[in-house]
Amino acid sequence: MTRFVTRREFLNLVGAVGGSSAALRAGSALGLLPVTKTAKALDLFALGTNSKKVAILGGGLSGLTVAYELGKRGYECTILEASHRCGGRVFTVRNGDLIDEIGNRHYCEFDDEPHMYFNGGAARIPSFHNNLLAYCKELDVELEVFVGENNNAYFQDEALLGGKPVRIKDYKTNVRGFLGEMLAKSMSEQEMNEPFTELEAENLLSIIHSFGDLREGGEYTGSSRSGYKTGGFTTHGVQKEIIEFRDLLKSRLGGRIMTASEGEQGPPLLQAKDGMDNIIAGFLRVVGQEVKYRAMVSAINVTNNGVEITYDQDGVRHSLNVDYCFNCIPTHLITGLDHNFPADYVKAMKYVRRGDAYKAAFQAKERFWEKEDIYGGITRMNNRSSSIWYPSGGIHKNKGVILAAYNFQGGLYHTNMTQEERIESHIKDGERVHPNYRSLVEKPVTIAWHRMNHMLGCAARWNRSRSGWTAEEQLMFDTLQKPVNGRHYVIGDQITVHVAWMESAIQSAHWAMEDLDKRVRAELA
Amino acid sequence: MFILPWMKANAAEENESYNDRYCTTCHGADGRGNYGVQAPRLAGMEPWYLQRQLENFRAGLRGVHPSDIEGIAMRPMATKLTDESIADIIEWVGSWDYVSTENTIEGDARAGAQLFTQCATCHGVDGLGNEALGAPALRGQNDWYLVTQLKNFKQGWRGNENGDTFGQQMMAMTQMLTDDAAINNVVSYINTLGRD
Repeated sequence: MTRFVTRREFLNLVGAVGGSSAALRAGSALGLLPVTKTAKALDLFALGTNSKKVAILGGGLSGLTVAYELGKRGYECTILEASHRCGGRVFTVRNGDLIDEIGNRHYCEFDDEPHMYFNGGAARIPSFHNNLLAYCKELDVELEVFVGENNNAYFQDEALLGGKPVRIKDYKTNVRGFLGEMLAKSMSEQEMNEPFTELEAENLLSIIHSFGDLREGGEYTGSSRSGYKTGGFTTHGVQKEIIEFRDLLKSRLGGRIMTASEGEQGPPLLQAKDGMDNIIAGFLRVVGQEVKYRAMVSAINVTNNGVEITYDQDGVRHSLNVDYCFNCIPTHLITGLDHNFPADYVKAMKYVRRGDAYKAAFQAKERFWEKEDIYGGITRMNNRSSSIWYPSGGIHKNKGVILAAYNFQGGLYHTNMTQEERIESHIKDGERVHPNYRSLVEKPVTIAWHRMNHMLGCAARWNRSRSGWTAEEQLMFDTLQKPVNGRHYVIGDQITVHVAWMESAIQSAHWAMEDLDKRVRAELA
Repeated sequence: MFILPWMKANAAEENESYNDRYCTTCHGADGRGNYGVQAPRLAGMEPWYLQRQLENFRAGLRGVHPSDIEGIAMRPMATKLTDESIADIIEWVGSWDYVSTENTIEGDARAGAQLFTQCATCHGVDGLGNEALGAPALRGQNDWYLVTQLKNFKQGWRGNENGDTFGQQMMAMTQMLTDDAAINNVVSYINTLGRD
């Protein structure tokens, strides 16, 4: 076993970043998480004999939340949905479903079985997204565990070991071993009088030893955590060879691999059984009759005492006059409607950029991943397709549906390709991990949110700088969150600072309804 | 009974029908244009010009240069169109009333007026266009769209394909617009021509 990095080199590395305390600080820099709260029971005024009409523009999750909650309090709601389906970016495709991408509409041809589905949009529910989970419970939507973290899945990077896929457990175990060794050495060679007491220092060393699975003296010599090379059950296990530290450091994705299953994407995650759109179905069981499909809004006129909506359905122009309007149409499409919104409101809508997330899926002719000890979870690749997700359900059945690509930030790369080019790109990328991929997959679907009819975008992009929101951006956000004349609310995950989550869509709807409630209580008092 | 079993509702969606009338998703209600997705006004566009552009997109004479971001988004839609769908779309677009646009571009309209004398040769002094010369109306189009297209022509991102005769003429003509300010100036002048 060759060791390319000596102890002295480790220490130099540590010294270069200012000793163990600097390393510890760096290690704690996890992503920011929104505050966890228990689900909010909305205390909205029940109208009783009073009558209020509400128009909900768009049958996405935020719109359905409004219809559901206000319906309970006696509001008369009408949902105008431009497309043939509700749910917006909560979109599950199954056999026969239309993927209505402008210029590339196609139908899903997966086998017609309950486990053969693909969540083309929302796909994960963190266990602390409490308002969403409360609705799932209230609406009798069956949930199951979503397997996101799987250390048996692969990490593939052309820069790492000649592009050979590495099990995530092998990558993580070795990185942790070397990091642990580095920390342990730096600890033992420093004066331990401060800032730790003797006990604290002892416990810290114990943590470091456990973290890295180190030997006596703080040496990392490999670990059985990533499994044995051979044996381990009826014969003694033979330890795998260490992946050399220098090799581990060849990939730019190391940090992502070490923390991919932390925070909001960390276990336990949940999903709706048999497809995320069962959450939408849950709402529709209650408010489904209020939805007008293929009803495309053309004009919104806010008056002093209401909102006048104009929409087209079946080639006929209709008008709908209401007391209040909740609008979850994407801001970049609202700007194309006839409206009388104030200039600062329009300025904010024009400012928001539309996301371009892209996903693709294949039907697998056989569950080849199970033969490689993989049950659910995510393989991560340093290529444009980025990920392969293995299904959490349908274990040991004949076939399954896998995610073949997921590009959240740079989806235009595949969006700008033809369907054939997209598929070829995903097959080529997948072959780097599963050599027979091409012969194992079929019946592709691609979901290019930037071009999906009636949406033309994924999650809203408010801030243009990576370093955060500017004061101007915050001002525009505040402007758009507030109602026009107390009558027209823009809602959806687009009106949150934490876009792309279902919980955000719901909390946006709650914010707007609580604002409305104050006005209604004042009016009817 | 209004509670429908979900699977049944899904079954009804099988082979969801569609036609090619997708225009308003991007181009706005009644084709008024939508800044939010940078899709221009179609209402009031000449049928012959609309037809030529749809055919150009379909034939790969427009929307193929990687820097023509909006053209690239348009092209896949046009690629799917049959002659019949193009005729249907032109008829549909013809049913929309023109409503006046807002001015969003700031420039020196007086300086633009000088530059516009070149444009007027084909597009007319009133910017109303000239079918015989293949030149569409300019006034009344979204000004931000005119700016984008002038820049695209100037860079060769539009009009550079063999077979796009009119586009090649525009590429040559836009070379007189020496910088972005000149483009804003000429578009500001076009804005003063107005349209009701």
